[in-house]
Amino acid sequence: MSEFPSATGLTRETVQRASGQAQALRNELRKAVIGQDPVINDVLTALIAGGHVLLEGVPGLGKTLLVRALARCFEGDFARIQFTPDLMPSDVTGHAVYDLHTEQFKLRKGPVFTHLLLADEINRAPAKTQAALLEAMQERQVTLEGEALPIGQPFMVLATQNPIEQEGTYPLPEAELDRFMLKVRMDYPDAQQELDMVREVTRSSRADMLDVKPLRTVLLAEDVLQLQQIASELALDEQVLDYAVRLARATRSWPGLAIGAGPRASIDLVRGARARALLRGGEFVTPDDIKDCALAVLRHRVRIAPELDIDGLEVDQVLKQLLDQIPAPRQ
Amino acid sequence: MRLSDASVVIRPRTAWEAMDLGVLMAREHRLLLMSSWALVTLPVFAALTALLWKYPSTAIFLFWWLKPAFDRLPLYILSKALFGETPSIKQAVRQWPRLLKGQLLASLTWRRLSLSRSFVMPVSQLEGLDGPARQKRLGVLQQRNAGAARWLTTIGVHLEIGLWFGCMTLFYLFIPQNLESDWDWQRLILATSSEGLWLEHLSNAFYAVILVFWEPIYVACGFSLYLNRRTVLEAWDLELVFRRLRQRLSNVVPLLLLMMGLSLLPFSPPAMAESSPSQKPLATQDASQSIKSLMEKPPFKNPETVTRYRFGEDKPPVKNKAHRDGKLPDWLKALLDNLNSNTFKHIAQGLEVLLWGLIVGALITLVWRYREWLRTFVSRRRLRKPQDLKVAPAQLFGLELGLETLPDDIASAAEHLWPTQPREALGLLYRGLLSRLLHDFNMPLKSADTEGQILERVNQLQQPQLLAFSDDLTRHWQNLAYGHRLPPPSVQQQLCSDWRTLFSRGSNP
Repeated sequence: MSEFPSATGLTRETVQRASGQAQALRNELRKAVIGQDPVINDVLTALIAGGHVLLEGVPGLGKTLLVRALARCFEGDFARIQFTPDLMPSDVTGHAVYDLHTEQFKLRKGPVFTHLLLADEINRAPAKTQAALLEAMQERQVTLEGEALPIGQPFMVLATQNPIEQEGTYPLPEAELDRFMLKVRMDYPDAQQELDMVREVTRSSRADMLDVKPLRTVLLAEDVLQLQQIASELALDEQVLDYAVRLARATRSWPGLAIGAGPRASIDLVRGARARALLRGGEFVTPDDIKDCALAVLRHRVRIAPELDIDGLEVDQVLKQLLDQIPAPRQ
Repeated sequence: MRLSDASVVIRPRTAWEAMDLGVLMAREHRLLLMSSWALVTLPVFAALTALLWKYPSTAIFLFWWLKPAFDRLPLYILSKALFGETPSIKQAVRQWPRLLKGQLLASLTWRRLSLSRSFVMPVSQLEGLDGPARQKRLGVLQQRNAGAARWLTTIGVHLEIGLWFGCMTLFYLFIPQNLESDWDWQRLILATSSEGLWLEHLSNAFYAVILVFWEPIYVACGFSLYLNRRTVLEAWDLELVFRRLRQRLSNVVPLLLLMMGLSLLPFSPPAMAESSPSQKPLATQDASQSIKSLMEKPPFKNPETVTRYRFGEDKPPVKNKAHRDGKLPDWLKALLDNLNSNTFKHIAQGLEVLLWGLIVGALITLVWRYREWLRTFVSRRRLRKPQDLKVAPAQLFGLELGLETLPDDIASAAEHLWPTQPREALGLLYRGLLSRLLHDFNMPLKSADTEGQILERVNQLQQPQLLAFSDDLTRHWQNLAYGHRLPPPSVQQQLCSDWRTLFSRGSNP
């Protein structure tokens, strides 16, 4: 039995150190964001896999807090854009201003030039402004005045949207949804965790928000890049790869789904699974890793069949059913 | 029965006009009809509800089934009222048990579902006919108006359903808003326990109340249809005209006769024994002869000579003619006779089998075509009520898990394999574990379960030893399968001995 050819570059120690760092980051985040462990896992998965996250949840669950805590933990820059109906694309990407002293145009970079970008309530801005994010998300560069400016690495967009309010919102187009690696649902915390959270928050001097100041910086921005590098080199068996592709392909012919996921879903499934494996402390990817992140990867890329929608079924239920029926690999 | 006493105008009507008359009749005696109906049916309904409190559907079904027995009462009242002998409620209700005697069984069994029930009911109840006599009578009666009677029943069914829905909606509208918001409708409707029963009994009661209103009208309409049919058949209207004529002329007749007698008397020829030659030969033979010759003449017989070609060039005209004349050409007749005979019986049966086969085949094709769809939706249903009995899959994840495909002593077999094929040895152990979990612990494993999910299930079994072993084995198996890393040799001995302590002792004592 031979070793993986791709695994040769990675020693066991490297992988273990990397997953140690990732786990430390996770433990640090858990201190700030209480009762949202699955969400923290997903966000870290996206960070390590180099993807973007669409967070969906009612207000007050700590979405902004999570992003701020994450930025603090790896000493990255953090910017926040509150999307409103009158937000212009240049408010996101930046624009050229005329400098009277030098008599020249100067580029003023927008908030998108950062490490962590929180696009709050992204569906409140019209499609024009949403599309301004597209290039930044996919190419990791912004074209201003005909000049392509690269965005610093690591770069991650965390967009939030509110599932309840539909009045005056602009639903994200499919192409933009596809750019997000994961769509994460934030739910209310457990009773016990909510108790802990309320106790913590009310103890803090600033009335209603958690302080992220006491958080320790666990790793640097370069370390995150290194983590991403190591994750992308983790060993992946052919069978597991096949499983990921089969899952994505199954959504296209699944009777309960009107629109299936594209090839980007397969790619993100594998990238997500690699990140999960690293987060778990494993040295290779197992089918469990694929299955763990399948729901978050697939749920925004498929559309449920109208008859099931009328029946009151959710996308998640249909996808769970699909995951329950696609055979897992074994050798 | 004296037609001149009838309280309605007797004349031939169209079927719908007759039904309209029925509605009028029911309206005329509405108080009597409805109260007598309510007096008879509501106690029966109450008794059925009390008896079958647990089975509201059965109760209402029985009540509905008994409708022909109740129908006899309004028919009795209407038939009496038609000739002005309207009974009181007390008399009518007292009469009801006696009315039940004739042909009750038949009307509650094979005649229950007849659509023209209201139309034919008077034949057995009022005319008292039974058996072949009744059949003969029905044959005559049903030549017309039977279709209208069927429509009457169909409309009645829809009216009952519509009124029933209306009552339910009215009831719903009367529920106060704050009370209604507390109700979980789905739970109420789906509930089989006692809390949902009252709702069903309430809807049953609505049905019983609706019948109080509608059923007398239905019976009256059927009865008026029957009257109309008999009016047409027996020319009751003409009889009435004659009767009236007679009544009017009865005073004048003696005078008229006297006058005629007086006026004819003087002119009568003298009574002499004169033989009249014209009368004498009128013997039976001659009479029959002349009758025959008369019968051959136009009003009685109308012979017509038609010359045409039977076969040949123009078939369509022949066919048309056949249609027009209501006659069939001989060859077609012969063919039809042949078809009716046994000659083509086998071919017909073959065709029948073929057609049925086509239908079954089409159904199977349809199911096969939509099998994915069916699987999705049927399995979704099944998830809601899980079945206790689950067939253990023989093969999971491409591994054979049947007991017979595994060696008896898995640990020894694995030890044998280890030096040469370590991968197969570990695979065998893992297969053995899955097979044990499936067969000994009845774990519902699916082919979609990953190793991690299986471990979680093992964790739920609350057997620390088994969990530790499964954890170990799964880890080594994953290392080998997905990490392509061989387990160290020391692991082999430990795994095999663990296997023996766990399973050899446990399952084969």
